[in-house]
Amino acid sequence: METTTTSPDSTPDPTILDNTPGHENVNALHTVQVATSRWTRLTAPFERPRVQYAVITVVAILALIFPILSGDQANIDAAANATAYATLALGLNIVVGFAGLLDLGYAAFFAIGAYSFGILTSWQITPDWGVFWQPFAYLGLVQKVVQNGHAIVHFTVSFWIMLPVSAFIAAFFGVLFGAPTLRLRGDYLAIVTLGFGEIVPIVARNWTGLTNGAAGLNGIAGAQIGSYHFGINATPYYYVGLGLIAFLIFVSTRLRDGRIGRAWMAIRDDEIAASAMGIHLVRFKLLAFGIGAGFAGMSGTFYVAKLQTATPDMFGFPVSVMILVMVVLGGLGSIWGVVLGAILLQLLQTWFLGSLTQWIDALGTAIGSDYISSLDLTQASELIFGIILVAMMLYRREGLIPAARRQRALTTEQQHASVQRRAASDVRLSQISGERYAHAPGAVPMLEINDVTVRFGGLVALNKINITVPAGSVVAVIGPNGSGKSTLFNTITGLTRAAEGSILFNGAEILGLQPHEILKAGVARTFQNLRLFPTMTVLDNILVGQHARLRSGPIGTVFWGPSNLKEEKVARSWVLEIAEIFGNRLVPRLNHTVEGLSYANRRRVEISRALASRPRILLLDEPTAGMDTSESLELAEQIKGLNALGLTILIIEHKLDVVTRIASKVIVLDHGEKLTEGLPDEVRRNEAVLTAYLGRGAAARA
Amino acid sequence: MTPFDLLLQQLINGLSLGAMYALLALGFTIVYGILELINFSHFNVFMVGSFIAMGVLHLFGIEGQSVLLHGLPLVGVLLVVLVVTMIACGFLGVIIERFALRPLRGVKGPMAMITTIGVSYILSNVVLLTQGANEKNYPNPIPHWSFYIGGINGARITVFQILIWVISTLLMGGLFWFVQRSRLGKAMRATAQDPDAALMMGVEVNRVIMTAFFMGSALAGAAGLIFSLYYNFTSFGIGFSAGLRAFTAAVLGGIGNIPGAMVGGIIIGLIESLAGQYIAVKWADVIIFSILVLVLICRPAGLFGRLAPTKS
Repeated sequence: METTTTSPDSTPDPTILDNTPGHENVNALHTVQVATSRWTRLTAPFERPRVQYAVITVVAILALIFPILSGDQANIDAAANATAYATLALGLNIVVGFAGLLDLGYAAFFAIGAYSFGILTSWQITPDWGVFWQPFAYLGLVQKVVQNGHAIVHFTVSFWIMLPVSAFIAAFFGVLFGAPTLRLRGDYLAIVTLGFGEIVPIVARNWTGLTNGAAGLNGIAGAQIGSYHFGINATPYYYVGLGLIAFLIFVSTRLRDGRIGRAWMAIRDDEIAASAMGIHLVRFKLLAFGIGAGFAGMSGTFYVAKLQTATPDMFGFPVSVMILVMVVLGGLGSIWGVVLGAILLQLLQTWFLGSLTQWIDALGTAIGSDYISSLDLTQASELIFGIILVAMMLYRREGLIPAARRQRALTTEQQHASVQRRAASDVRLSQISGERYAHAPGAVPMLEINDVTVRFGGLVALNKINITVPAGSVVAVIGPNGSGKSTLFNTITGLTRAAEGSILFNGAEILGLQPHEILKAGVARTFQNLRLFPTMTVLDNILVGQHARLRSGPIGTVFWGPSNLKEEKVARSWVLEIAEIFGNRLVPRLNHTVEGLSYANRRRVEISRALASRPRILLLDEPTAGMDTSESLELAEQIKGLNALGLTILIIEHKLDVVTRIASKVIVLDHGEKLTEGLPDEVRRNEAVLTAYLGRGAAARA
Repeated sequence: MTPFDLLLQQLINGLSLGAMYALLALGFTIVYGILELINFSHFNVFMVGSFIAMGVLHLFGIEGQSVLLHGLPLVGVLLVVLVVTMIACGFLGVIIERFALRPLRGVKGPMAMITTIGVSYILSNVVLLTQGANEKNYPNPIPHWSFYIGGINGARITVFQILIWVISTLLMGGLFWFVQRSRLGKAMRATAQDPDAALMMGVEVNRVIMTAFFMGSALAGAAGLIFSLYYNFTSFGIGFSAGLRAFTAAVLGGIGNIPGAMVGGIIIGLIESLAGQYIAVKWADVIIFSILVLVLICRPAGLFGRLAPTKS
């Protein structure tokens, strides 16, 4: 198979960049399913996009005509409630499913949205009338009401205004409570959100002036369009709910497939790697928390408008757990899955348990068992929630509709295709070359490490290390295990704090910066023990590398501004360009999750991911580990090629033939001290180095 | 009562509640120390313990608070109830570990925590469905003897409060001895520090984890009995708020840190009774959760730091 060579301005190969399922391998003659279980065979047809669109269309039409099909108000009412839960599940899915933050107090934001709307449309708070309120009265937000000769303000903010406003209020609280707590470890976050989820209903119960306490808010005005009041009619609410679901599915999908969704999933898969790849952890966690809370706020407004009351009991821990059950049942991170989960649970509660109870009671009467005939399964819904949680976790963690698309295996032809080796002269990258990468002789060193000391408790991992990496050079760091090589890399990239010293990158101090800031400055790295994002595809992994270079914000991502579309397109063609450095090793696998790749290919993905950030210096931590000799030398050629483009490289490597081949300077570390530095051949003959590596006797014999 | 007596009374009550929370907090801390898992099922193992103890008390013919025992029969009955409850709860914990959590060991992310929420729900709803939703009047054979400090109008210590202190001191002392001195206790501490290294040194990690669950759950059972004797009621719903307070205690003392959990429990008990007296009972939960959030944010390692270093 020939790989397409892409110059920067040619259009990228559509077979690789189009990530719709089923289009991954147009060249594939025989596709082999990765795992064929009964379930796989059952759901396989739904993997095809045409089938998916057909199913979605049919479901949408059924949902639209449901109230006509079912004349029963009770059913429509239950369906309208289900839409509220589905919107909640979609919101929690962003927090738990996408970003991996377990929020056990999600119902608190539901409550905040609900009370915001309830208070601003009921008689709960009625300040005295004053001139201040006049402009609001013109806008229709308040009314002047005279009671017993006393003028008061009655809030009459419209439902349609409150939908977005509640979303903003809830998102504000999400950010407010998230900001201090999101720095915590994941399991602590769960317990803090649980506590927060308890505090909000308690406040609602006890702050009677604001919320009317346990009795709940009454007299909440519902929604209206023009002069048509929805009243207690469930049908219009059902349609509003459907609209909300459609909108939130749209928002979720766009977010998931863009820069922001990739950042969330990267955080979920590996926080350290995510921050080393330029993702601002706190900012993106807060964004997930805020958007999730916003969905809940909107949902709260909708739910309360429909019920026209709000009591503290509607928002307790059981509600948070129920929403979690919906998300887990449908599939963490799976947009359509969580909607299905919400609908199934609603069906279970309103219809299935009731009917089942009737059948069982009838059975009990028939066989004359008082115990069976008095069973009431409608009380058992929480028991079933518990069973669903445990069973899904034990037997089907990915949920009913898994978020990750199953991938087709490579064809035999692709697997056995002769490996295309790229020589150093073949390495061409449009974005790593040119003026930014041209180094005048005598320029400022790319990296200057001065007297850096790192201590772990009493252990001195690095002791007053001085290293200079000239611009445009390849410097290798060697040393026995435990000599501090990886600590050196961690310190440069901000993952480990140095006790003293300074690290100048291109003349500017980077010691003390956050990992994501260091990447943005132009320092990218790979990890010795591979830190890829295992649930993401090769393409997405490499796209994450570009995170710091892309601009798309949430609004642009959702509404696909022209600049966002262009940016995404360029980003994908850049991925292809990088992948082609490795010949046909990565290109046919771009749409595979990295879990299935060979060790050597995973290393290549990690290098590609680092390259994608357009670094000025690349830090490679044992890049050839796990590769055989020919693969190692192949990679050495590619590294040489990258260096020829002007990229400065600092490499930790054990294989001395690789080091000799590419390095212009070798630094030897031992026990946290710099033993020596020099040309590869000099270092090879250095007695101290031989002693450190092979022991004293060996040095004498050599 | 003079203001001083009132304060003294609340301190006495707080110490009693605190001993109960400490017993419950130990279960969180032992399991977290080894598995780094917040075990929500612990909430309702506590609740189940309260019901098991009630069943045993009923077997002795004790109903309500009118059948009182004295002397040896009292000690004997309480001992049997305590031992049976602790063993039953211990096995419940082991079963939960074996069937719901062991298959998920090593799975990344919040999966195991979600499972414990599910188990917790199953426990509380099985009790709800079989025992009903109403609060149960709790059988209590302990006589209402009291000691007064500073005269009949002064602060009062009931015989039951003294019993709580004795029982919890013995249980916690026993646990401490076990963890510090016994062979399995050493294995437990080793596993908490580094499970892989412990495994390679020949520690049977599964056995250690089972023991941790057994002991934590047994202590939760004892706490469940004490809780219900103290308040004279039980219900399927007692696990949640007591469990959350005990968890706060564990965090306060530094989760994973056994003496920390004991001190944290006492502090939470004192805060609860003092806040109830001087602020308002209805805000006690808000105060406790606020403390939880503040501790986690300002001092995530708790007041005394963690026993085990954070695993990477």
